[in-house]
Amino acid sequence: MSAEEFAIADTCFLIDWASWRQRDLLFRLFKTVFVPELVIREIKSERTVEWVASSLSSGSLSLFTETPDIISFARDLVERSKLFPVRGIDLPEAICLAAGRMRNYVVITENRGALMAADFIEELSGVKVWRSLELIAEGLRRKLIKGDPRKVFAEYEMDTGHRFPRKDLEVMLHELEGEN
Amino acid sequence: MISRGIEKWKKLEEEAREIRRSEADWNFIESQPPKIRAALKFYVETGDLYVASRIADMSIEEFNDLRKRAGIPNVC
Repeated sequence: MSAEEFAIADTCFLIDWASWRQRDLLFRLFKTVFVPELVIREIKSERTVEWVASSLSSGSLSLFTETPDIISFARDLVERSKLFPVRGIDLPEAICLAAGRMRNYVVITENRGALMAADFIEELSGVKVWRSLELIAEGLRRKLIKGDPRKVFAEYEMDTGHRFPRKDLEVMLHELEGEN
Repeated sequence: MISRGIEKWKKLEEEAREIRRSEADWNFIESQPPKIRAALKFYVETGDLYVASRIADMSIEEFNDLRKRAGIPNVC
């Protein structure tokens, strides 16, 4: 199965993304986005619960039930992440990374620890880890969303209280402008 | 995929911490009950939403709403 067909989202990402005015872009990028049961337990607001429930109903989101092999691998990843002198990961994001490795899903996260773990842990080599920055850029590249990229990223920051690292944002904007 | 060295990640973490510290509404943070205040300060220092929510005894989404009210950006 192509990695771009399936993704798995962690809680930090989903909660931020649910506040964005163009949040349904997610479902034009992937056939379905898996949501671990742990993530479902963390959402409480009417706005997010309604969006998640209707997306589960349409099949745009799918429930990901953690199996013992995924949990075991995820626990290994948590331990290994603590061996490096940078922020480690906890079980919720480790489950997404384990699924990314074992099921070939794109991992979508806003968790720096998950980005770092994917960078340092050998078993995660090759796992695709995307932030909202990469997802929005992909949507702009494929023309699934339109508008001035600077304005699109600024709206995301405004809607979600998110902050893209300035350097990463400028590099991405430069790439997008060079492609047009 | 994003690939950086450990030193680069440390630098990025420090930059993110500075942004959170400088933009946080410290009057709001200091006015909170002890457990919430400690969780918000932990979040400012680490950016770790999951652990901060456990300290505050809240769901991640509830804590995320609180960090927005405290003016703390999620830098990633």
